[in-house]
Amino acid sequence: MLALLLRRAGFSFLSLVLVTSVLFLLTRAIPDSPARIVLGTDASEAQVTRFERDHGLDRPVLVQYVAWVEALATKGSLGASFITGRAVGPEILSTLPVTLELVVVAFAISLGLSVAAGTLSALLRDTVLDYAVRFVAVLGVSVPGFWMALVLILLFAVDRNWFPPGGVVPWAKGWQAHVNSIVLPTFCLAIFYMAVLSRMTRSSLLEVLGLDYMRTARATGLPRPKVLAYALRNALVPVVTVAGMSFGYMFGWALIIESVFNISGMSRALLTAIQQRDFVLVQGVVMVFTFIFIIANLVADITNVWLNPRMAAVRA
Amino acid sequence: MRRLTGLFGGAGGLIGALLVLLIVADGIAAPWIAPHDPLRVDMLSVLEEPSPAHWFGTDQAGRDVLSRVIWGGRASLEVSALAVIIGVTGGVALGLIAGFFNGGWLEQALMRVLDAMAAIPLLIWAIALVGILGVGPFTVLGVTFGNEVKLLALLGVLYMPTLARITYSSALAESRNNYVAARRLQGVGGLRIMVSDVLPNCLSPVIVQATLLLAIGIIIEASVSFVGLGVQPPQPSWGNMLADARNYLFSGEWWLSVFPGAAISVSVIAFNLLGDGLRDALDPRHTAQALTA
Repeated sequence: MLALLLRRAGFSFLSLVLVTSVLFLLTRAIPDSPARIVLGTDASEAQVTRFERDHGLDRPVLVQYVAWVEALATKGSLGASFITGRAVGPEILSTLPVTLELVVVAFAISLGLSVAAGTLSALLRDTVLDYAVRFVAVLGVSVPGFWMALVLILLFAVDRNWFPPGGVVPWAKGWQAHVNSIVLPTFCLAIFYMAVLSRMTRSSLLEVLGLDYMRTARATGLPRPKVLAYALRNALVPVVTVAGMSFGYMFGWALIIESVFNISGMSRALLTAIQQRDFVLVQGVVMVFTFIFIIANLVADITNVWLNPRMAAVRA
Repeated sequence: MRRLTGLFGGAGGLIGALLVLLIVADGIAAPWIAPHDPLRVDMLSVLEEPSPAHWFGTDQAGRDVLSRVIWGGRASLEVSALAVIIGVTGGVALGLIAGFFNGGWLEQALMRVLDAMAAIPLLIWAIALVGILGVGPFTVLGVTFGNEVKLLALLGVLYMPTLARITYSSALAESRNNYVAARRLQGVGGLRIMVSDVLPNCLSPVIVQATLLLAIGIIIEASVSFVGLGVQPPQPSWGNMLADARNYLFSGEWWLSVFPGAAISVSVIAFNLLGDGLRDALDPRHTAQALTA
């Protein structure tokens, strides 16, 4: 078990190193020098050279890369922006909580509801409830989150004054106002994954329920809830894998949703950085998200081994 | 009729297939069926409600929304389809080689690279890399491409690990079959067996997955164009039309957001129905993975 865990963690770390290296090289490989972007097109050649020397951009890419890795490993620093001169790490940390809250809440809602709905749907197969769940699931994967956001803002924030049309009210101004302000964004973020995960739960559970060992379990006279618990333990394995990926992917969609609702989370930081072509900040944001994505996948793998210890033998 | 529904794995698949056919035909025939020029500004008929003259109304520059939806569909489908073509070409090639020439360093190397690529969150990278490369048209070897080409190229590359892994598992299983050994005994070279004998037997789940990726590609294109990093105005796409529509959310011009949004949803439903149907027909063991991004 421990060996497997270490092995998986090792692979995750390797992926992280590879992927971040590619990202670093890509940001440095673009044809226009950051100096030109910061100083403008009419800066003199001498100014550009000085800027590049000051920021260490005149060194070979490999040397820059080693320096960057060293700073990351020893000081946990993601570097300083060429545009604002400020350290990128703290800037990201200050916007992360808003995005993180949206994603965690949306993830919890979508995982909880979809497992429940998928299970009911499988147990009550071909009933009205099953059809309803499947219909909502088709809708959920087909309506893009940001369009749903526009429609919901129109219906519940403009026509009726139930929710604010944008922004997140901070906790300090009362929890009701805060919760109210994140209802629409989290729903728009959650609906797609609710649909995907409930469909998966349903089909996976139906498959497991049809297996021989389930018939045996029922034949031995086990109480039904217990049979279901065994079935779910096996059926949830693919759901957990996809849920792990979904958690990481959600940060991407959160960027879009935040931008619709004018929420000043990481999306604003990233989109501003893109407009200003602030590579270091963009690179930092992507790095943080990639790190979260890889960790979420690792957690999903570990959860699966716990759910179904046979996986340990398969994966190792 | 029964044979036809069987081909698409049921009634849902058939409906999906017909809708997809309609949407694709619409995109291809855009120059002939769009009633107006999607770019023609007409300041005398700004923000008009749907009427017989403009079925879907007009936008803030007096442009015909129906024509823009039709042309926008062409842009969305182009991005989504080209990304899938890149992804399928690269992914199938990598997966096939790793699966067929299994048990050596080549398999190990390819699979580790694909593992690392699978550790990339697709949408964030697509957004960020378009941002790093800079928004706007670009020129390679004297040919100028639109901004959306960056997006579709990135998507294509990021689709590869998913498609490669599916191909890999089929190719691995196929390569152990007797027919492969028989072909070898006939003196046929490995590459030739791989391409002309093994490849056709690996394609069913790939087709299913590609169809599902077409659906998600439409959503991704729309989302990225919505934040201004995909198809660039004035060229219409469903995503950037919705970005414009956002400014009129509070003033009641509902047709600006409803029609492009509905177009996205109908297309995504169509590709999903077709994909699910094809899965039932071609891929009973559900090798193709669940659709997320």
